[in-house]
Amino acid sequence: MNRTLPRSAALVLGTLDLVSGALVAFGVFVALPARWWPVDGAAAVLATLEVVSGLGLLLGARWSAPVARASAAVALALGLAAVSILAVTATWLSSVYGPVGRGGGIVLALVALLAIPYLVALPVAQLLWFRPGAMAGRAAPEGP
Amino acid sequence: MTPRTITRWLIGWAMATAVACVFVHRVFSLEIDEQHPRAVVESVWSAGALVVQAVTARAGDRDARIEAALAAHPEATLVYESIVAEAPVIRAPEVALAMSFVPGRDGIGASVAGRTAYVTPDELLSRQAYDKGVTLSGVQLTMGLDMPIALALLSERLGTTARDLLDRADVRRVRVVRTVPGAARPPAATPGALNDHEVRAATISAGRYLARGVDGEGRFRYLVDAPTNRTLGGYDWPRHAGATYFVAQIAALSHDTDVAYAALRAASYLRDHAIVSCGEVRCVGDGARVDVGSTALTVMAFVEVVRAQLDAGYALFVPPLTAFLRAQQRPDGEFMHEYDREANRPVDVQLLYYSGEAALALSRANSLLGDARDLEAATRALEHLAGPAWNFFGSRYYWGEEHWTCQAMDDLWDRAPNRRALDFCLGWEAYCRKLQYGPGDTPFDGDGAYGFGPLLTPRLTPAGSRTEAAIATLEAARRAGVGEAERRLLESQIRRSLALLLRQQFRPGPTHLFADAAAVEGALPGSEVDWQLRIDYAQHAGSAMVRWLEIGQ
Repeated sequence: MNRTLPRSAALVLGTLDLVSGALVAFGVFVALPARWWPVDGAAAVLATLEVVSGLGLLLGARWSAPVARASAAVALALGLAAVSILAVTATWLSSVYGPVGRGGGIVLALVALLAIPYLVALPVAQLLWFRPGAMAGRAAPEGP
Repeated sequence: MTPRTITRWLIGWAMATAVACVFVHRVFSLEIDEQHPRAVVESVWSAGALVVQAVTARAGDRDARIEAALAAHPEATLVYESIVAEAPVIRAPEVALAMSFVPGRDGIGASVAGRTAYVTPDELLSRQAYDKGVTLSGVQLTMGLDMPIALALLSERLGTTARDLLDRADVRRVRVVRTVPGAARPPAATPGALNDHEVRAATISAGRYLARGVDGEGRFRYLVDAPTNRTLGGYDWPRHAGATYFVAQIAALSHDTDVAYAALRAASYLRDHAIVSCGEVRCVGDGARVDVGSTALTVMAFVEVVRAQLDAGYALFVPPLTAFLRAQQRPDGEFMHEYDREANRPVDVQLLYYSGEAALALSRANSLLGDARDLEAATRALEHLAGPAWNFFGSRYYWGEEHWTCQAMDDLWDRAPNRRALDFCLGWEAYCRKLQYGPGDTPFDGDGAYGFGPLLTPRLTPAGSRTEAAIATLEAARRAGVGEAERRLLESQIRRSLALLLRQQFRPGPTHLFADAAAVEGALPGSEVDWQLRIDYAQHAGSAMVRWLEIGQ
């Protein structure tokens, strides 16, 4: 049993991980109209990590904190890369085609808004929560 | 990792992304200078074929090959394509390369071993190479330049291979401005300056284009490749019937006997080749399974033939067909869209358009023949279409294609006004206005078209079909006393689409790129760069114009 993580926090963070994993899997494998291995591969890895991390946290597994930390790091790296690639791609398209227009702007903003909470903000919060110093500070005192 | 470290990393990431965006924009955007072209590609075209081409420093510079070609082909057209800007392209992945060229605006240039060659937009249009590069099969979209065609033309010109070009050459996109010396450019149609004379001439021209394509048997030239004037494969009963309906409209409007005979030939082709038994009644189709749409549009065509006073005898063929439509209607007003002729039973599936088409056909049949059962069926269909058929969480934000529904709503207004259906159509038109491009929304001539985002070349058929429905909605709104502000919005929406259709219609279009310009005069292309001409493109646009003239704006 992971004794360094309060049960309520483990429930919240575990649930968020499961939701994020499901959203990534749905967004890539259901919502996207075509298959492309770089995106599919990254999504498969991330969704698997998020689900494993979420289950570990919910079950209170001993390995849950390091796995959650690894999952958050991968999610953050992929999230930052995705937002950067989206921004640069939008810039390239607007350089070739002119202003992307209201419709295009709304789509790009929505995609960014959908990606940032799950792939940037949540991983940052988890990395801060699971950093070794913070974990030690929250650890329950051992009994005699 | 401390909060401070993470914050620093995130700030660094944001700055790096911003710098990358600025860099990409500087490299790939064009700096257009029309006054000082970098080169001018002079081309001599004859009957849609490129005779000779030369690259000069300025438009009008003399070149011996050009002079010789003009002397040998007195009917040929000299065209200047001035290269007013250049920018590099991304070569990989292939999708990025294909998407690096704005359709109809950008050509491709390459330099290798001190030689430079261009493939201009006119050449790419002539080969129909735009919007053929990448297919997104999941959403049935194609976009981007057909790179095998573009690279084949370019490599032939440089005496190398396409692979060698991609490996060694400096490949660029080039922005081109076309001028044809001596050609008078008619003023482009604008929403504010639309006049009935111009709209009338345009729709008659579209009708004559379709009429010219009706053969002795009554079949249309269903799909025509404009640059080569070749008739392509495929045929479709609903579109044949829709085109017949429109040609009959134009026969009445123009009193042109050639058009009238074409309408009669096309109607007789339906009568003699398409009407079959569906149980006790008659329907339209030629397979074991027939659909409601073919019969509905055939009813509309026959009613129009009678209304246009071309042949009153066609009224006799309407009742057995409307009996089929009524037999396909469910108790809730919806239609079962297919009929299995082998099993002799309706198939309760719903496909796009057919319910609205059936409602309009029944309404038109009632207007002509006065059968109360047709009116009752049309009224129930409309009640369903504007009610339960589109009533779910989010149905105010997302809509289907309702152009037939809204025409049925207007057609029924005098006999069975349905305020809920009018509100439904006003809501649909408001949604369409959100999807209507403004003047600066795309790099194309797109003001008045419907679409999403700047990358897809605006399609013209939705502008035609939605305008038919918008005019019907405007007319019903006027009779229902809907407020002036709402009607002004509708009228502006309609005017913008009509002006677009007038600008894009081949009247006569870039004739130098057509093998037989007279054969495609009056046609409506699929888009600014899609010149495969299907019969329903002219029908929807032309019927919208006829409706505009009818309401006397």
